[in-house]
Amino acid sequence: MRSFLTLLGKEVRALFHSPIAYIVIAVFLFLMGYSFTLTLFVNKYATLVHIFFQSAGLLLLIIPIITMRLFAEERKAGTLELLLTAPVRESHVVLAKYLASMTVVLAMIALTGTYAAVLGIFGSPEWGPIYSGYLGLSLLASTLVSLGLMISALTSNQVVAAIVTIGVSFMMWTIDTLATMMPDALERILISLSLLARFTPFATGAMYTSDFGFFVSSTLLALFLAMRALARR
Amino acid sequence: MLAPVIVADKLTKYYGARLAVDEVSFEVRPNEVMGLLGPNGSGKSTILRILTGYLRPTSGNARVAGFDVVGQGLEARSQLGYVPEDVPLYTQMRVNEFLDFMGRVRGVGNTRLPVAVDEVIERLSLGRVRNLLISKLSRGYRQRVAIAQALLGKPKLLILDEPTNGLDPRQIIEVRELIRTLSQELSILVTSHILTEIERVAHRVAILLDGKLLTVHALGAGGSTRFRIRLRGASESAVRASLQAVQGVGVVESLPSQGTYILESTIGTAPAVSALVQAGLAVEEVTSSGSGLEELFLRLTEGALR
Repeated sequence: MRSFLTLLGKEVRALFHSPIAYIVIAVFLFLMGYSFTLTLFVNKYATLVHIFFQSAGLLLLIIPIITMRLFAEERKAGTLELLLTAPVRESHVVLAKYLASMTVVLAMIALTGTYAAVLGIFGSPEWGPIYSGYLGLSLLASTLVSLGLMISALTSNQVVAAIVTIGVSFMMWTIDTLATMMPDALERILISLSLLARFTPFATGAMYTSDFGFFVSSTLLALFLAMRALARR
Repeated sequence: MLAPVIVADKLTKYYGARLAVDEVSFEVRPNEVMGLLGPNGSGKSTILRILTGYLRPTSGNARVAGFDVVGQGLEARSQLGYVPEDVPLYTQMRVNEFLDFMGRVRGVGNTRLPVAVDEVIERLSLGRVRNLLISKLSRGYRQRVAIAQALLGKPKLLILDEPTNGLDPRQIIEVRELIRTLSQELSILVTSHILTEIERVAHRVAILLDGKLLTVHALGAGGSTRFRIRLRGASESAVRASLQAVQGVGVVESLPSQGTYILESTIGTAPAVSALVQAGLAVEEVTSSGSGLEELFLRLTEGALR
């Protein structure tokens, strides 16, 4: 446990040492703030549904930038050899990197809570969909972070890791648009794999255990595959 | 006799279809400095990576301090300190911070940690740079930081991959001295493609070529020394007669026309020289001709390349 906390501390420090985390958070909040203000003045509805969808779209682009360096950088610099030849478990190394990245992403999402606070102070929003929307965003982030982590573990090139993660994330986000053209059985499979189809109920205030299960199991699967990718070959 | 610190048994490693290590077996004894010598690409680093658990052998097995490097990887890794070839370090950390991190990772207890870090800092003369970022350090200092982290947690075995690469002559001498001092406390496995480097620090040398272990050769204390001796106006028979009585000294090569003889001795140079002087022969010059490793290496690698 102690070595795990040490690894986690190192990862969190590394993320906040580099300017990437701050720049990503600043750009994200700027874009979301702009969109929130504009929509609020135009529509005058006390809702965050559009913010949740826009945040989700931005997460598809932003998370791969946060996760690209996690293993690719260590592989390239050779420090992965230093780390994996020390008496630590691969699972600890992977989980530390996952939790550290989630810390950055959740902090970023939490800062958009100010919009909810503004709505609460000046209006009377329905809180249910806001809670479920934040839960959905966190779950989506978890799947995307573990996916990015897995892809970063497969390469020593950060740019390759980022581009492949963005590609796979977008594919999984929009895969259900193809579904209607497919035979029934395939249609159901494609819809069940779609991040958008899984996220939409959360953003609009409906929560299903199957969607919850999808995000949790896809996270676990990707983390497991990341450990396998690191495994001593 | 104490149990060996490393036992490698028929280690074999394929990278795809390429055979990188071919049934290599050897042992490293407690407090021994074992050198792995071979040209670039002969499988030295692969063997180290298998022993440190970074790679898995395709077949064969290895034990470090009695622990199987695959089945008991965590225990085996906690018994060794490793400095990879290009000295990878977390360059965004300060020396202090890095050693503290590695100490925790290597399982040094909270109360012992500050003392352990201070110890390695002092031992490797890092006091002056302890608060500097690793990215600001010279190659020599980085090498020292890498060795320092490997010593945290008091491992039984230190594994150094080409430790003198990229160092200036003064730093090379320092590393050599350090290896000698450290061998009083732990076993060391060191690789190099530079013969004279290995010759100066190792007790035994394993010679590798194309992934095969050609031989294990004893040097220094355990083996014999060779030296060249030049005499004025002495006949070969007189030289041989005067050395006959000295146990452990033999004539390897003689060039009577130049008055030069190459002797091999298991008891050092002094008894041979004093025997010659006592026999009334005029000794003009005595020079070390090394351990015979160079000759052996050339002979073996030449044979294998044919």
